[in-house]
Amino acid sequence: MTDQKDPKQKASRLSFLRRPSTHYSLGAILIVGIAAGVILWGGFNTAMEATNTETFCISCHEMGNNVYPEYKETIHYTNRTGVRATCPDCHVPREWTHKMVRKVEASKELWGKLIGTIDTREKFEDKRLTLARREWSRMKANDSRECRNCHSLESMSSEKQKQRARMQHKMAAEDSMTCISCHKGIAHHLPEGMTEEDDE
Amino acid sequence: MKKIMMANAVGATLALTTLNAMAAAPADWSAVPAIETGVFYPGVSPVEWVTKGTEHGGARVLRKGETCAACHSEEIADMGEKMVSGKKIEPSPIAGKAAFISTTVQAAHDGENLYLRFSWKQPAASGNPPMDELNPMKIAYMLEAGDKVALAGQAGCWASCHGDARTMPGADANKTKYVKDGSLAGGIYYDLNQWRSGENKSFDGYVANHREMEGGQALAGADGKLEGDTWSVVFTRKFTGGEGDVVLVPGSTYNFGFAIHDDATSGRFHHVSLGYKLGIDSEGDITASKL
Repeated sequence: MTDQKDPKQKASRLSFLRRPSTHYSLGAILIVGIAAGVILWGGFNTAMEATNTETFCISCHEMGNNVYPEYKETIHYTNRTGVRATCPDCHVPREWTHKMVRKVEASKELWGKLIGTIDTREKFEDKRLTLARREWSRMKANDSRECRNCHSLESMSSEKQKQRARMQHKMAAEDSMTCISCHKGIAHHLPEGMTEEDDE
Repeated sequence: MKKIMMANAVGATLALTTLNAMAAAPADWSAVPAIETGVFYPGVSPVEWVTKGTEHGGARVLRKGETCAACHSEEIADMGEKMVSGKKIEPSPIAGKAAFISTTVQAAHDGENLYLRFSWKQPAASGNPPMDELNPMKIAYMLEAGDKVALAGQAGCWASCHGDARTMPGADANKTKYVKDGSLAGGIYYDLNQWRSGENKSFDGYVANHREMEGGQALAGADGKLEGDTWSVVFTRKFTGGEGDVVLVPGSTYNFGFAIHDDATSGRFHHVSLGYKLGIDSEGDITASKL
């Protein structure tokens, strides 16, 4: 009789899982883990979104002294309805996956800042065409996705547009063109040395 | 070629046997339909600029075959204003120069002659020293047949405007207007008619690979007068002429543009029109109907 094993003591390896203390501790770890995850993820996101603001962008003098004053002369900064598009609206994708890709690419800019590739006006002007072409090809490749965050050919009002704009947008719709093909220089000065290929 | 030679022979015969064509111009122009348009100050906008996409967004539209007027017809005065003030493509703006001159254009014919009347209000003088001492005002128009001159069907006279022509910045003072691949023999030319106010004389020439002011035989004459501050100039042009004269045939349309050298200017400092279609008894921006 004493050699009969207690059925409750079967599968002793995993039996600890049934103990209340296990339940409480695992439960606590889970809840704390979820909370910590939220805090960490939220923290990560907050930090990342902090790099997604105009204030952050222009905190580097390379941007603040060169392209920022140029942008302030344009309609994306000042218009009659007071609606503004700031740096990230055009240069950082809204969708999470594309945003992550762009942010990883942008880490190269930290390196550039460190070694000062465009830290003087002259260096910036020399590199302006290269930098512009980089953005133009990025925008062309994603079919002007950032422009389409706000604008769409379908919702344009032909009554409110001037004859010239009406004609051009009608053609753009017919030929399935992308915004950046024509609207280079919409927010910053056009670089010198543009060629016919830049007109595509 | 044979057709042109035949037309020349007929024209020459007619010219010898007909009475002074000037006598047949309409006495009462108020019955002739009028087009209200205008000429604007064009700054430095040669065809090289117009067709360069990185400078002029309309280059793409032109490549698709559209006319300048398709985008610009509603904003001629605004364009003139941008350029005359120096805001765009005008390195040496002249203070006080008009941006735009509203002009009434009328056309009619009597089977043998085309009558063109231009009427406009003289803008205030800019005070700039005269470039043309003899002529306070000149008016000219160009005709082109068959779209042989590239862009003539879309841009009117613009195909004759080049960055290296005299009075353009940095250009040779002796190089006249010209058209690409221009050749009289090949039919690639503009027929040019002009009236000068000071000399009170009309000129019939052409623009092929260079510009000739004289030698044409189609222009019978021009009658211009200033009444108060309103100009009225009537050109009488025979349907046929000689070398360098476009042959006008009822039922056809022709590429057309006109320009006014206001304020005793010369060279590029004129006010110009967009390109239009002139129809002889046929539909166009301007139609010359039989009187």
